[in-house]
Amino acid sequence: MDLMRPASPQEAADLLAEATAARRGVVIAGSGRHRDRGPEPPPGATTLATSALNRVVSYDPAEMIAVVEAGLTVGELATVLAEGGQEWAADAPADATVGGVLAVALNSPRRLKVGPVRDSLLEVVLATGDGRLVRGGGRVVKNVTGYDLPRLAVGSRGTLGLIAQVALKVRPLPKAVRTLSWVSDDPFSVGRRILEGVPLPAAVVATPQRVILRLEGWPDEVAAQARTAAVVVGPPGDDDAWPPPGPRGSHRAEISVPPSQLADPGAGLDWAALLGVGVCWVGADDPTLLPPSPSAGLPAPEIHRRLKASFDPAGILPDLAGVPA
Amino acid sequence: MTAGPATPPILPPGRTLSDPLARALYGRDGSMFEGGASLVALPESRDEVVACMHLAATNGLQVVPRGSGTGLAGGAIPIGDTLVVATTKMNRILDVRPEDRLAWVEPGVLNLDLAEHLAPFGFTYAPDPSSQQVCSVGGNVNTNAGGPHCLAYGVTSNHILAVELVLPDGRIEILGSEGPDAPGYDLRGLVVGSEGTLGIVTAICVRLVPLPPAIRTLLLDFTDVEACAATVSDIIARGVIPAALEMMDQLVIRAVEHYVHAGYPTDAAAILLVELDGVAESVAAQAAEVEAAARANGVRTIRVAETAEERGLLWKGRKSAFGATAQVAPNYHLHDCVVPRTKLVEVLRGVYDIVDRHDLKVLNVFHAGDGNLHPLLAFDRREPGALERVLQASEEIVRLCVDAGGALSGEHGIGLEKRDFMSLVFSDADLDAQACLRAAFDPDGVMNPHKVLPAGARCGDHVALERGGGTAGEGIPEGTWI
Repeated sequence: MDLMRPASPQEAADLLAEATAARRGVVIAGSGRHRDRGPEPPPGATTLATSALNRVVSYDPAEMIAVVEAGLTVGELATVLAEGGQEWAADAPADATVGGVLAVALNSPRRLKVGPVRDSLLEVVLATGDGRLVRGGGRVVKNVTGYDLPRLAVGSRGTLGLIAQVALKVRPLPKAVRTLSWVSDDPFSVGRRILEGVPLPAAVVATPQRVILRLEGWPDEVAAQARTAAVVVGPPGDDDAWPPPGPRGSHRAEISVPPSQLADPGAGLDWAALLGVGVCWVGADDPTLLPPSPSAGLPAPEIHRRLKASFDPAGILPDLAGVPA
Repeated sequence: MTAGPATPPILPPGRTLSDPLARALYGRDGSMFEGGASLVALPESRDEVVACMHLAATNGLQVVPRGSGTGLAGGAIPIGDTLVVATTKMNRILDVRPEDRLAWVEPGVLNLDLAEHLAPFGFTYAPDPSSQQVCSVGGNVNTNAGGPHCLAYGVTSNHILAVELVLPDGRIEILGSEGPDAPGYDLRGLVVGSEGTLGIVTAICVRLVPLPPAIRTLLLDFTDVEACAATVSDIIARGVIPAALEMMDQLVIRAVEHYVHAGYPTDAAAILLVELDGVAESVAAQAAEVEAAARANGVRTIRVAETAEERGLLWKGRKSAFGATAQVAPNYHLHDCVVPRTKLVEVLRGVYDIVDRHDLKVLNVFHAGDGNLHPLLAFDRREPGALERVLQASEEIVRLCVDAGGALSGEHGIGLEKRDFMSLVFSDADLDAQACLRAAFDPDGVMNPHKVLPAGARCGDHVALERGGGTAGEGIPEGTWI
């Protein structure tokens, strides 16, 4: 398979322009780690790799904004931000790319506290399928200047263009953290009592045998929350690692429901549910055991079609309708 | 997707206003512009909104959605042959589900009414613009409204889970979801901040945020503006993200104190209203950092609100700032500038300079934590030449903020007011792409004409759309009084 590896946003745009003119299929690749979250590439597609688009363009801790090229890895970004006492609250694997995390909308298990990753993208430079460089948003934390192109880019799964450069809202690293866990044979019930009784946790995670409580904040705050949790559901076991490992199994699915509807997904599955958020990650070796995919087709298909046609008129990039279950 | 009622719906009698007074009244909003509607409709349900779209189509009218009409950028000003669709009567809170941390509301529900309704459940709706007693949640959605609590809690877009949208062709879509992730593109995210140009929002699923267990409000006063701004930076550097961080300069302090009697120090050069919230131990730790930062930068006094009443009074002062300006002059033009936080003092100095050169008065209120500055130019419209000086100074202020690396609007939106400045911050390619976002929802250009995108932005040659691409608008036409 051919590989293109642009070293600048403009070069990426030029390569896409050429591919459009030649009607040659392209698939965008960051680390490739989350390719299963994106649609199938067209057969014979050339890979457009972002690994050379990896500069830190600007970072000022006083602004709490980092401007980076999208091929920068999550680990490299974390190192840069840690020097400023800050983090990008994405919690993705260290070798994943910033652009990849945004393109597939990979959200943090701390979502209860830090919100979805789309809320952290302030500005995006997108190289469209037909090779235009388009910018939307701005390098400020509040902005209503035109249409929200950054929000369109997050979760667009490489179907509209290449996310070339981004401005990310970053936050202070917490001064204290703890990950408490309890063994339980009724994790949803225990987890819900924790969620109701402990104020402002970072995450409450239910798994088949355990409940995990992630606390972050000021030292006295974390200590107080931990004491409260022990009062509500009894003393925890040993502190746990964070983030918790994903569910075991060669096949994965993600359930998204209003949080009160989270429930045991069933026998034969390993799972981890984010209480208060409504996400449940499910894993199995036998794909027939996974929950069925939620709905057929996309909402507002006409709007989706027009957006796709605007950004990738020759259709050289994969199509969102092809997203696997 | 729902296609709506099978036969073209008709508005019941009494839903429209066509008398000249109504058409003139609905021709104004909170901005300085004045337009005029051809017809005004006040629908009471989603299906009546669909009927409004059909009515507009049948009569060759474009559609201008309107919430409470408190928008400051002219986003609700009707220009040309228009039907104004005001959602004021769609003001029911439909469903509150604390177990799912969401609520469904109609667009005409007032922001503060929603927050007050949620409080007994132990929750709130976080975005709190200063106009919250009057502004509607639907309007908030369309302007991606801000407010002092957005620093820690995020802007409106972070608090909208889903919207029900009636498209200009009358079809109805639910965008977003009650669950955390919806399939497809974030169309919900595109609707937020779209200033009435994509359709009419008829129901909104808002995110509920738990009321914090503890709140502490502090008033810091400074004899020096730079010291106040340096304190803001220092607070952030210590890893504190206050729930609100509001700065006011001397003229504002005096106007507000004279009116509200909150105990603001009228000889201060600037004050900082700091609100901290969270778990009690967190609030205590944050307060210690804030006080240390303030003392390190030469604060004169630190006052902590001891009671809920005192807190309310301190906030009343801040939220009444614009109205209190009436003591200074009969008219005001309010700006909305957002710049990098570290550029606040430099920009503030630049604003004072511009205002001096145009012989005007300025009162400054800022969401200091966000770099969002609201210079308020106070003037008397009856004075010959005053309005021209205000408009000239306004343009210079916008350019100053853009040159400092800012955006055109932090909270109020582009509307009419800043439409022709869009090319200061975006290239033609950027604006054409935005025209495509708009045309994806409104290919015929029915919704809210002349707003947001400047003349010539078009979703153009690289794609074939239903009517060969939409043109976003021309120059502000004759008949739009300023």
